[in-house]
Amino acid sequence: MAVETPRQERDADGDAILRTDGLVKQFGQFTATDRVDLEVERGEFRSIIGPNGAGKTTLFNLISGALPVTDGSIYFAGEEITDLSPPERVRRGIGRSFQISNVFGGLSVRENVRLASQAVHDDEYTFLESLFKPTDRYETMNADAERILEQIGLADVADEQAEALAYGDRRRLEIGVVLATDPDLVLFDEPTAGMSVEETQATIDLIEEVLVDQTLLLIEHDIELVMNLSDRITVLNRGDILAEGTPEEIAENQDVQDAYLGGMIE
Amino acid sequence: MLGGLIQQLLDGLTIGVVYVLLAAGLSVIFGVMHVINFAHGELFALGAYFALALIGPLGGGTGFFVALLVAPLLVGVIGVLIERFTVRPLYGRNPLYHILLTFGLVLVINDLIYVGWEPGSVSMPIPEFLRATVDVLGASYALYNLFIIAFGGAMAFGVWALLEYTKFGLIVRAGSQDRQMVRNLGIDIDRYYSLVFGMGAALAAVAGIVLGGYQTVSPEMGTSIIIPAFVIVVLGGLGSFKGAVVAGLLVGIIQTVLRTHVPILEGLVIFLLMIGILLIRPQGLFGSEAHDDDGGELLTGTGGVLDSQTRTRLAIAMVGLLALVPLGVGTLYSPYVVSLVIEILIWGLFALSLDFVMGYTGLVSLGHALFYGTGAYAVAIVLLNVSQSAFVAIALAVLVSAGIAWFVGFLSIRVSGVYFAMITLGFAELFYNVVSRLEITNGSDGLFGASAYYGVAGVGVDLDSIAIFLGSVALTGQMLFYYVALAALLGAFLLTRRMLQSPFGSVLKSIRENEQRATFLGYETTVYKRRAFVVSGALAGLAGGLFTLNTGYATPSFAHWLHSGEVIVMVILGGMGTLYGPILGSFVFFGLEDVLTDFTARWRLVLGTVFVLFVIFLPQGLVSLPSQLVPYLSGGSSPETEPTPEDPGFGGDG
Amino acid sequence: MISDSESHGSRRQFIKAISAGGAVGLTGLAGCIGDADDVNDNGSGGSDTVQYGVIEPLSGSFSDLGEERLQGTELAIQQINESDEYDFEIDYETYDSQSNASTATQKATEAVQSEGAQYLTGCISSSVAIAVNDFARDNQVVYTPGAAAVSVTGENCNDYVFRFETSTAQIAEVMAQWTADELGDQIFYHIADYAYGDSVKAEVESRLSSISDSYDEVGTTKSEFGSTDFETFISQISSASDEADAVVVGMTGADLAIFLSQAARRGLGEEIPIVTTTASFQPVLQGAAEGAYGVYSGVRYVPSLETGDNQTFVEAYQDEYDAMPDNFSRVGYESIRMVARGIKEAGTTDPTAVKDTLAGLEQETIFGSNRFRECDHQATNPVWMGECVEPDSGEVADVELLTELGGEEAAPDCETTGCEL
Repeated sequence: MAVETPRQERDADGDAILRTDGLVKQFGQFTATDRVDLEVERGEFRSIIGPNGAGKTTLFNLISGALPVTDGSIYFAGEEITDLSPPERVRRGIGRSFQISNVFGGLSVRENVRLASQAVHDDEYTFLESLFKPTDRYETMNADAERILEQIGLADVADEQAEALAYGDRRRLEIGVVLATDPDLVLFDEPTAGMSVEETQATIDLIEEVLVDQTLLLIEHDIELVMNLSDRITVLNRGDILAEGTPEEIAENQDVQDAYLGGMIE
Repeated sequence: MLGGLIQQLLDGLTIGVVYVLLAAGLSVIFGVMHVINFAHGELFALGAYFALALIGPLGGGTGFFVALLVAPLLVGVIGVLIERFTVRPLYGRNPLYHILLTFGLVLVINDLIYVGWEPGSVSMPIPEFLRATVDVLGASYALYNLFIIAFGGAMAFGVWALLEYTKFGLIVRAGSQDRQMVRNLGIDIDRYYSLVFGMGAALAAVAGIVLGGYQTVSPEMGTSIIIPAFVIVVLGGLGSFKGAVVAGLLVGIIQTVLRTHVPILEGLVIFLLMIGILLIRPQGLFGSEAHDDDGGELLTGTGGVLDSQTRTRLAIAMVGLLALVPLGVGTLYSPYVVSLVIEILIWGLFALSLDFVMGYTGLVSLGHALFYGTGAYAVAIVLLNVSQSAFVAIALAVLVSAGIAWFVGFLSIRVSGVYFAMITLGFAELFYNVVSRLEITNGSDGLFGASAYYGVAGVGVDLDSIAIFLGSVALTGQMLFYYVALAALLGAFLLTRRMLQSPFGSVLKSIRENEQRATFLGYETTVYKRRAFVVSGALAGLAGGLFTLNTGYATPSFAHWLHSGEVIVMVILGGMGTLYGPILGSFVFFGLEDVLTDFTARWRLVLGTVFVLFVIFLPQGLVSLPSQLVPYLSGGSSPETEPTPEDPGFGGDG
Repeated sequence: MISDSESHGSRRQFIKAISAGGAVGLTGLAGCIGDADDVNDNGSGGSDTVQYGVIEPLSGSFSDLGEERLQGTELAIQQINESDEYDFEIDYETYDSQSNASTATQKATEAVQSEGAQYLTGCISSSVAIAVNDFARDNQVVYTPGAAAVSVTGENCNDYVFRFETSTAQIAEVMAQWTADELGDQIFYHIADYAYGDSVKAEVESRLSSISDSYDEVGTTKSEFGSTDFETFISQISSASDEADAVVVGMTGADLAIFLSQAARRGLGEEIPIVTTTASFQPVLQGAAEGAYGVYSGVRYVPSLETGDNQTFVEAYQDEYDAMPDNFSRVGYESIRMVARGIKEAGTTDPTAVKDTLAGLEQETIFGSNRFRECDHQATNPVWMGECVEPDSGEVADVELLTELGGEEAAPDCETTGCEL
């Protein structure tokens, strides 16, 4: 089911939103990423694939700032962000989506989204207001949150505790939370892991629907999905880029087939 | 000069070896099971007392060596039993719960020592031949000290060999690196826990016996050594046997050398050392960087079975009831009730302040008495030296406490979990040591005789010389202060509650839920945690300040670590993360203590047992009691909580 | 409205006054209530009951001393209640101070406000006693503390506090005189670094320097309070033993016991005489065991004294508890008796009246004729110097008295106490 994505049309201005330059991460003797040079175009849907231990998650951690780099540099929207803290990168526009168990389970659905929106709208309150003015009295951030709740279809259950949501709804909430951080680039780490075919399709539809303006970077094991969705695919192997190209190029790439695809696609 | 140095080195090694034996068990227990075992010091004391009991009939010669073998085995068995029946139900929960549990065990074991043996210190008979002195490079040296070094060294070597060369050791070492990984390998590591705990207990007992022969044996020996032992464990790196050895010897030697050359630093040095090392190397000297800091489940109390309207009404009813307390004096009860409730309110405020950081950001401060003490001393110093205005004194107390909290937070919040607990403990102990020495705080006696009026610039009232008459009841002195304390508590409660409804509070709650996620929403969580810590420190300072305002004195004991422990106990007892739970905890803590001390001299035993049962069966605190009871009461139709007249459901269909 | 200089109100009187009055409204009253005694008291005739609050450290590090003191207190109360001499009975409640000032004042509040106690006794550590001192003044109850700290009847004294415990100042007097006479005036000090240790050094030093012109401090070492390792200090003392005539040790309790046993193991006593303030206490002797042999000590009390009716006390104590009394039991015992005689003399159980009668009242005690001085309410106890010697049987040393200093000579001059009564 080769779906033509609308993203390819928006790939106009061609400037790189994200660029890594010789990115190295070592854990003791073990090199997790070995001089990775990655470039992602604005508006692109890019997937990163590779066998276990290829360095995919490490790469995400480096880009989002969860881990400090050993060597190399990272540029986002033309500026170096290598030494910035994770929250600073979020404020610059790098959103990161987690496994769904990662929503704030003890808080309400609305509060989950509103928290994300509050981080974006920090100009709506002074320091003193941030300490004493109740959260329900800030118009912009609440309106923002409500809009997103509508978008992800959770407005009806906004007062439920997040941990009480059904699996699929929590997935939606997770995407809504990322959306509320107003990102330009979203990092997705296996968003459909453990899902049924229907759930996977619903999730993909939602991503396609609400994250229209964002550049997407996806780690995914489901090759079929990757082939269908991506504008371009980067194949990692042993911490290094093995190949990069359109789904068609990757499918035909002999190195990839030898090293990886042959083993993955039964 | 060389002789002197060698002397100091040997002296330092003697005490260092004892530290090693004590810290090794503590460290491995933490590394493998994540248990912060405060009761380790009591097991250490128990070893010495068992030895005394064995030496009694057998005599100091062979008896001593028999005791050295048998007593640790007995204590080891006790350790296994403790693990089986009290620690085991808590695995998977946040280490915080072990603080409450082992705090309870400290009370129980310590009181049992009082039951079994005479209070006061006794000397432990040691074999005749060990009492001689020998010449080491020109200095005379007690042979027994050399024996400690040799024997303790051999024990430590034995433990090292066990850890290094046996399957048991391999599993324990792997477990202290990464428990989950060991489980994934199909090894049932839980089975080894009892053994590790028992071994740690036995090592502590050995340390207690050899040290008992070196010093004397007293029921307090456990409480006085547990804090240095913890410091050593943290210094060396949690879970690292090598770290415990190096840090134990290091601390022993540094303490001894400093005692000679810079005596003023002696009490401070281990805490300075710990704080310094944690700031540079948060994982300790030999701790592994990637410690699986899973944290475990933090069970915060929840609203439970009542809807919010009922809860508001209940709260207003409670406040109303509290406001009536002084009016019953003379008719229903004596004025003592008012003084008791004042203390409870002040501690309630203190506990609430801790809950604000512990229950909402997960920062376990084991040194909160630092801020309480700061507030108390600030008020005493201001009243005695600057101004007798209560407002000026309290304002300064709150400001100074907030300032110190900012400073401590600035340095400490970058480390997390147990390390944060230890670093705050370190600061509190520094404060305790410093106020015990300074001129302006009147050293170990403390400051007395501070009196205040309520006003500024010389205009105001003295609570003792005004009265408010309500019918036949007159309120004065303590009874008026009661309202000051109640107002402070209520104000703090409303303030913190309001803060929790603000954007700031939302972020705090998100940090409690999942700090990493909060970071990836764009929040600098460190900044938020530090702010929460400042608010908490200021409120704790207010509590301490109020205490001194009421009683007129401040002593170093206010900042003692036992105070910090007690306030944690109150928070967990009541239910953390609720703000009102800790206040309830304070009522229960003091209420229990007040009732129990009237009944029995062994009230610590009972109180400790209550804590142990509590943490096992009601970990979410008293506030969760109603919802815990729901299943048992579901047959009935009446509401399962304390019914109030306003409650529409009250009365049911009965 | 009052100003900074307003003194402490008298809380108890005041409560009585207003509960008798019962007017409505907010009134600014500044201590002008007048004397409101006897609103609740039933006068002083017949079989009055005197309510006592006994607050002792029954748990924690001083618990052995607290228990011992309590036994003395209970014995005295029992004797008074059985005696025809007194026309009142003593009723009492016991409280555990936990060696903690805030707990002690909380318990004192309970005793006074809940049980109606007019008399308090107990507490051994100085900061706890001082806290109760203030409490006694504010609540106008008579208090007999168990702490030896100079300031209890010095700068922290007040009208309501009477101390039968021998003060460190009195012990320092005999130690200084005896040391200068018998050992010399070149002194090395080792003290525990807290209030008690500091005061021992200050007291001994001031007396020695007035006794002898050539007095010199050879050196001072300080250990932390609660230290358990004194090897370093022992080495330092040992290396100064050529110059110094004696080492004066300002420590007590477990610190002293541990110090003595470690010093003995290193043979320090053979190099330099060890002079202590409290090695004669039973708990220290037991803790130090053989370590105490040959150590000199100031002596506040030993059961073998033939003074006053001490032997009658010792017999009664032995009958009751099957043990010898020691310093703390005799303090508990005689504190109660002295106050009881004051009540008898005053003819009322009202502490405000009793405190005036008690000050300066000559009475027969276990130390013979004695009194609480008017100027500071300190009992004029005699003091002794003793040596701890190897016993005929057992391990715990006997105390052999070397010299005695009479009560009047031992007590510091009224002008120098810092107490203004």
